[in-house]
Amino acid sequence: MKKLLTEGTDRTAIGHYLIAVATVIAVSAACYLARNLIGYHVVSLTLLLVVSLLAVFLDTIPLLVASTLSALIWDFFFIPPHFTLHIGSTEDLLMLAMFFIVALLNGILTSRIRRQELRARQREERTDALYQLTKELLVANGIEETVSVAEKYLGQYFKIGSVAIVTGEDRELQVCPADFSGFTPESKNLQIARWVLQNQVKAGRFTDNFSDAELTFYPAEGGEKVIGVICFLNPVRTAPLEEQFLEACIALISGKIERELLSLVAKDAFILAESDKLYKTLFNSISHELRIPVAAIIGATDTLLSERYPETTRKKLYREMSKASVRLNRLIDNLLNMSRLESGHLTPHPDWCDVHDLVNKVTGSLEQELGLFSFVTVIPDDMPLVSIDFGLTEQVIHNLVLNASQYAPEGTEITLSLRYDKPGKLIISVADQGRGFTEKELNNLFHKFYRGETAVSGGTGLGLSIVRGFVEAQGGSVHATNGERGGALITVELPVNASEINSE
Amino acid sequence: MLLKSTVNENERVMKTGELILIIDDEVQMRRLLEITLSANGYKISEAATGKEGLNQASQHQPDLVILDLGLPDIEGFDILKRLREWYRNPIIILSVRNSEEDIVRALDNGASDYLAKPFRTGELLARIRVAIRHSKVPDNNPRLEFGNLTIDLDKHLAIKNGEVIKLTSTEFSLLALLAKNAGRVLTHQYILKEVWGFGQIEQTQYLRVFVAQIRKKIEDDSSKPALLLTESGIGYRFGI
Repeated sequence: MKKLLTEGTDRTAIGHYLIAVATVIAVSAACYLARNLIGYHVVSLTLLLVVSLLAVFLDTIPLLVASTLSALIWDFFFIPPHFTLHIGSTEDLLMLAMFFIVALLNGILTSRIRRQELRARQREERTDALYQLTKELLVANGIEETVSVAEKYLGQYFKIGSVAIVTGEDRELQVCPADFSGFTPESKNLQIARWVLQNQVKAGRFTDNFSDAELTFYPAEGGEKVIGVICFLNPVRTAPLEEQFLEACIALISGKIERELLSLVAKDAFILAESDKLYKTLFNSISHELRIPVAAIIGATDTLLSERYPETTRKKLYREMSKASVRLNRLIDNLLNMSRLESGHLTPHPDWCDVHDLVNKVTGSLEQELGLFSFVTVIPDDMPLVSIDFGLTEQVIHNLVLNASQYAPEGTEITLSLRYDKPGKLIISVADQGRGFTEKELNNLFHKFYRGETAVSGGTGLGLSIVRGFVEAQGGSVHATNGERGGALITVELPVNASEINSE
Repeated sequence: MLLKSTVNENERVMKTGELILIIDDEVQMRRLLEITLSANGYKISEAATGKEGLNQASQHQPDLVILDLGLPDIEGFDILKRLREWYRNPIIILSVRNSEEDIVRALDNGASDYLAKPFRTGELLARIRVAIRHSKVPDNNPRLEFGNLTIDLDKHLAIKNGEVIKLTSTEFSLLALLAKNAGRVLTHQYILKEVWGFGQIEQTQYLRVFVAQIRKKIEDDSSKPALLLTESGIGYRFGI
């Protein structure tokens, strides 16, 4: 069905002649054997029937041969006197003439119908092809897939070799697929492609311009301007009708290229809008976070400088200033950590570590916060040394514990557990006795700038996203759930080496 | 934990008034240090650039130098190296650069101690006292006391609550090294070289195992050490 429309005409033509001659001879021979049973007039009708039937299958000229041959045979073998072309009666002569005319008309009419049918079938095939092409182009994603769809369909119909699409502005042309053999930087082909982009006419092999090139270049028109060039390797010369069809296909592919280019632009715009949104969120939350402690420090110092207050008030103010500074410092640490993460240059430096050191470092820096809770650490006695990046892991535990202390009610228990799971897994979990997470929080917890639904004032929503970043930088994973007895439970898994040295 | 001798030292400092050179380009930082340190009895000289700092160091021969690494004219590590070509007194680095690499590099290049900004002034004062004490008094006392722990360097003994602790010879060498440098941070590499005679940083696994063992023997609660402290990613510090 999807063969080239003119394919194999020579071979079928010879076949047609053979079929025509063989059928006529065979039927004639049969009639000759039965000549005593049937009159020779019946034979003429039989042969007429055979020629009409052949008209259904055969081309015009083999059919003419069949008509002529059957007329001659009828005359020679059946019309008396036999074995001569001479015809005795006027009636028989008229019969032969009519036989010949009917056979010819039959053949001509039939073949005309068949030609029309063929044309209709070709039209249908093209419509079908265009439909298929449209359909596949619709689902194709990106220029690269567009190229492979174009290659598939154009290859089928026009015996075209590979296809390449060139897009871009004058100096910066992009060829897709990038490894297309016909294009080396500044090759002649690239120059022709550029020429086609500028002049908006087809060029290359079988065209009026650059006809010595091995490729054919078609301009891809999108809206008012040429947006790209479609190039064919090993093109074949096409008949005018096929050229029309090819151009229809090219129009379709051009439309697709245009859409792809537009979607690239839209994607860029989307990313821009997203980063703008992110910037605004960052700006709002951080300017708030920076201003509050600074305001506290400025306010406190102003009061202190006026020297009108008793020692107890002054002590309280000093304490406020100290708290504000710690908060500022924490924010700066978080921002620096975030930018380390975003820069993509975060490389963990694992070294042997006694996890007690980790815990002591964290509890030391969070002494004030943890003073309000009952803080429990669970580490098995046979805990081996593990190889981890101390700084990153410390920050992970720090953020998790600090978070728990900010969300859980004062006086409740916060549990930090560390254990080693064979083979090669360090499990760190922090559990509190707060209200746990809602479904929505569980989905967004580790996103940058996300704040819990009952977030206390202060905080930037950076803490847990840093946790995830630092854990993933070490090849680990982090999960949040609600504990069996309620409360938040965050578990970190890090791939580690454990020391096999036993000092005993 | 403060050492008994340190407290005495503090009293001595108040009388003599050691000279401290502050090399820092931030006016506000110099002012804070000047106020804090002179209130604690030290004499102060200040430099805002590396060049000026090197000049003043050679002119005044300060008892201690506080050096910021981020100076406008000369790279901090270069100043450190150039100072160390002739300057023997303690140099404490005070910098916003707080990565383990920077700290280890500074210590290996001759810095006596390292504090990251922002810092607690109380901690800075303690480090200054320790550094000056180590530079001034050659430690000839064979008996070092840390609360309920006594280390006798002559007799190779460690005594806790009046009872002799059983230590292997390597454990004792390690403990003695740390105790002799009480208050100072010693890098992993330095400790490995001093105790085992090699400096391959890959061997820190052994070091940690030994530290864990010593802690079990000398600390009241080995999971919350008060004597043998970890400086994560850098090394160990004893006593403060």
